[in-house]
Amino acid sequence: MAIEIPNAAYSGKIKEVPLGQEGKTITFGGETCYPFHLFEGAMPHPPKIAMEVYDRAPEEWPDTVMEPFADVAGDPVAWANKCIDSYGAEMIMLQLASIDPNAQNTSADEAAAIAKKVSDAVDVPLIVWGCTNVDKDTEVLKAVCEACEGKNVIIGPVQEGNYRAIGATAIGYKHTVVASTPIDINLAKQLNILLGNLNVPDDKLLIDPTTGALGYGLEYCYSVMERIRMAALTQEDERLQFPILANFAKEVWKTKEVKLSSAEAPLLGDQKKRGILMEAMTAQCVLLAGADILVMRHPEAISLVKEAIKDLMTTEEG
Amino acid sequence: MVVCIAESINIMSNTIGPAMKERNPKPIQEMAKVLADSGADYLDLNIGPARKGGDELMDWLVKTVQEVSDLPLSLDTTNPVAMEAGLKAIAKGRPLINSVSLQPERLEKGIPMVTKYNADVIGLLWGKEGMPRDANERAALAVDFIFQANEAGIATSDIWIDPIATPICVDINQVLSGLEFMSMLSEIAPEAKSTVGLSNISNGVPDDLRLYLNRTYLMMLMKYGLYSAIVDAYDKELIAIAKGERPEYLKLVHNIMDGNEPDPASLDKAELEHYKTTRVLLGKVLFSNSWLTT
Repeated sequence: MAIEIPNAAYSGKIKEVPLGQEGKTITFGGETCYPFHLFEGAMPHPPKIAMEVYDRAPEEWPDTVMEPFADVAGDPVAWANKCIDSYGAEMIMLQLASIDPNAQNTSADEAAAIAKKVSDAVDVPLIVWGCTNVDKDTEVLKAVCEACEGKNVIIGPVQEGNYRAIGATAIGYKHTVVASTPIDINLAKQLNILLGNLNVPDDKLLIDPTTGALGYGLEYCYSVMERIRMAALTQEDERLQFPILANFAKEVWKTKEVKLSSAEAPLLGDQKKRGILMEAMTAQCVLLAGADILVMRHPEAISLVKEAIKDLMTTEEG
Repeated sequence: MVVCIAESINIMSNTIGPAMKERNPKPIQEMAKVLADSGADYLDLNIGPARKGGDELMDWLVKTVQEVSDLPLSLDTTNPVAMEAGLKAIAKGRPLINSVSLQPERLEKGIPMVTKYNADVIGLLWGKEGMPRDANERAALAVDFIFQANEAGIATSDIWIDPIATPICVDINQVLSGLEFMSMLSEIAPEAKSTVGLSNISNGVPDDLRLYLNRTYLMMLMKYGLYSAIVDAYDKELIAIAKGERPEYLKLVHNIMDGNEPDPASLDKAELEHYKTTRVLLGKVLFSNSWLTT
């Protein structure tokens, strides 16, 4: 007797969101099936990886991930160019980590100037990310919106506490926003509703459901992401039908497991390989849960994941 | 008709908590009178874990409330010494012990008090391993609880099974398993009664929206013959639902549960609220705080 493969019944579709400057946009979303279930539907726009660039030279990174960027750290433009020219980055995420009041507390004007310089230097879609402090992010990201006018920059994190101010400014300068919620599907839906009520257009919105590192709560993040996709595709939950951004590189690269040297933790294996695999495995998991944009750091982890995406997108027909 | 246990005399309350600590009877007695007038059938006296001086507090509280109210009392504490002090102090009405779970130490100390003080008991389906994960685990815990209580000489009809209501914004699947279990209870133990901490369903939701969830959830549980509920007795509409005074809404909600969906365009404002709320409580639509307006 022939085996009948059960097919999921889909009733929804992820909205298509074009990112990047006019004429150079890359479109995300458009899925009509669960991740890589190409036998059930379509994934017209495969997931892509955004490489991280930091506004200042990072201080606490393990050497294993600092090494590829040692020559460009402290110069965000050079760093972004290296990601694109040497590592083939398809997108850049500028992490404005130094604006944090508990870090260097870089001013809004200074941060906006950095964002502007990077946005002028790169053609790929640019994500500009704050420090998650609601008040400081409001001040800085509003300035970034203004400085980068017309570039369709992707602005985040937009949270419950600052969605009005940042959302309204982003609409004014025609940027895309990333709605960020703490691993909770109901809150994710609610923030998307609020941003919709504020008149953020559907093609200017991404979801950041919060992503932890492998071994650090990834299973919860996976589950929320998976449920977002299920609600979007099988329950026609219109306010969850947006591409998902997974911002996990900074989570992976601060764990104990990537920081311990090979000598300190011989049972954990080679430190460099360990960190690369931690990042690549985290990426692989969120890909299967439904992420469209992966924010990553180590070039070798990135090439592993790019290869995996290519394999997963291959169908029998070729 | 659902027996209403009023939840408001609670140590967590901003007015009642301090009154309990200061042994100030007035706010408590005033509240007891208002709750009785609102249609409460029982008053729940919740003193929390009450680790220190719980016995003296419960004794005082029972006497204070019984000075102004003839309603039977539900004694709500996890401290067995305080529970016993309250049971001893009760002068009128058959008491309700809220609650005994299946955790061994709670069972061991709680069960003997049920027979000794001729009380009813809420059997909380909280097992050795904590919260049951689905309807079947709830069923297993219910059978276990009833068996152990029967062994100790407690009649099944004196047991009020509480399947544990959990907030809709924590895990909809738990809400669904609670409902599924309630649909099974009458077959598992036809004589057993039931109750549920109704307001838990809306925990974490903005205050002005909680009553919508509480009301519709009550009607959903009534489909399965819910015997009683621990409720916010200040919500007059909720009490009216419990007293069987809203048959048209009840029918609407039960129809939706049976898969007979009305045309939303044909519904008036209140019906539409019940319609939308039933759908989020059934998991047909994912809950968010904007569920009534989207």
